[in-house]
Amino acid sequence: MSRPLPRGRHGLTREFVEQDQRERLLAAIAGALLERGYDETTVSLIGSRARVSKSDFYRHFDSKEECFIAAYEEGVERVRARVVAAWDEQTEWADRVCAGLAAGLGCLGREPEWANLLLVEGLRAGPEVYGRFQLAVDSFVPYLRDGAPRPRRGKAAPEEFDEAVLGGVASLVGRQVLAGRADGLERIFPEVAEFALTPYLGPAEARRIISAR
Amino acid sequence: MPSRPALPREFIAAHKQRRIMDALAELCAEQGYEATKISDIVRRAKVARKTLYDNFDGKEEVFLAAFDAARDEAIGRVEESCAAVEDWGQRVEAGLAALLGYVAQEPVLARLCMIEALSATPATTRRYEDALAAFVKLAGESLPRSKRLPETIDETLVGGVAWIVYQQIRREQARDAVDLLPQLTEFMLAPYLEAG
Repeated sequence: MSRPLPRGRHGLTREFVEQDQRERLLAAIAGALLERGYDETTVSLIGSRARVSKSDFYRHFDSKEECFIAAYEEGVERVRARVVAAWDEQTEWADRVCAGLAAGLGCLGREPEWANLLLVEGLRAGPEVYGRFQLAVDSFVPYLRDGAPRPRRGKAAPEEFDEAVLGGVASLVGRQVLAGRADGLERIFPEVAEFALTPYLGPAEARRIISAR
Repeated sequence: MPSRPALPREFIAAHKQRRIMDALAELCAEQGYEATKISDIVRRAKVARKTLYDNFDGKEEVFLAAFDAARDEAIGRVEESCAAVEDWGQRVEAGLAALLGYVAQEPVLARLCMIEALSATPATTRRYEDALAAFVKLAGESLPRSKRLPETIDETLVGGVAWIVYQQIRREQARDAVDLLPQLTEFMLAPYLEAG
């Protein structure tokens, strides 16, 4: 995806070229952010990584920030697509949660520049981007809530745990990525899954389900 | 009639610093850190520009000082409320109650620490991360050690609590933060209780 199109005349449609450039720019900003951080990432740097000229950059985006926001949205949708696909393959609630978490961790772990963009840079790049981070995490609440069991003891309703679980997972995964351990994300699946299932099923049942996987 | 004794210089200076920090916190809540100018701060705090610069290098330093003071106060209250409690479950509840009580009492400072700090400057973001780590350490001191739970359980629990408190502040319901106590206590204790 990061290879530029062949130079010179080619039979590709304008739409295709534009789309290809846009994708390369989004990939480039993710890579640049991992390498340099937000402040040191410039439009020139993004352009050169993407092999897109500065003037072409400005045909797609008004600014670095706009490029970042577009990359953010793209990143969220990629993760969401994988999580939802994995979710849909299962029928039982606990299996769905495990499949969704595994898919999310796997996808972030395989692409550290996107993990960094979504979970580290996303928290630092100003209120507009942070708002999107929040919305992204909140958007998984309905999946967690759908079919979730009521705890047999305790007074709190299960939906009160949904946000706390997702927030905790986002915080933990973010800290792992921040510490440079993005490629180890799949390894922490058992503890993340246990943490997610425990408020609904209790620790013993949560552990049993995860070790049976 | 003898004239009133002058207040000690340090007291006056500290009081002015407090006013400057509170003014910044209020302005951040109203219009965000970026839009807040030194002139806004000195006008709100009713101090001279020179006074601000005598006490702080600039806007960021005011922010960091306000953050540090609020963090220290919150941590102090949590530690104090936990100190007298023997039972670890009750200690967790007492600590949460102290934290939520602080948020309810100081919504503007809570917002500064938990919302504004994340987007103001890289230094303020690092302060937030360090403060979160301090709370993780505190939680670790109360929560029982269990071989069956991962080392990261403290981090995940505190992260989840922070998220919920953040949402509460964002929805302008900081003053009702203490309402969250039952659900957050249950959330923190859940991994340690048998048969859910």
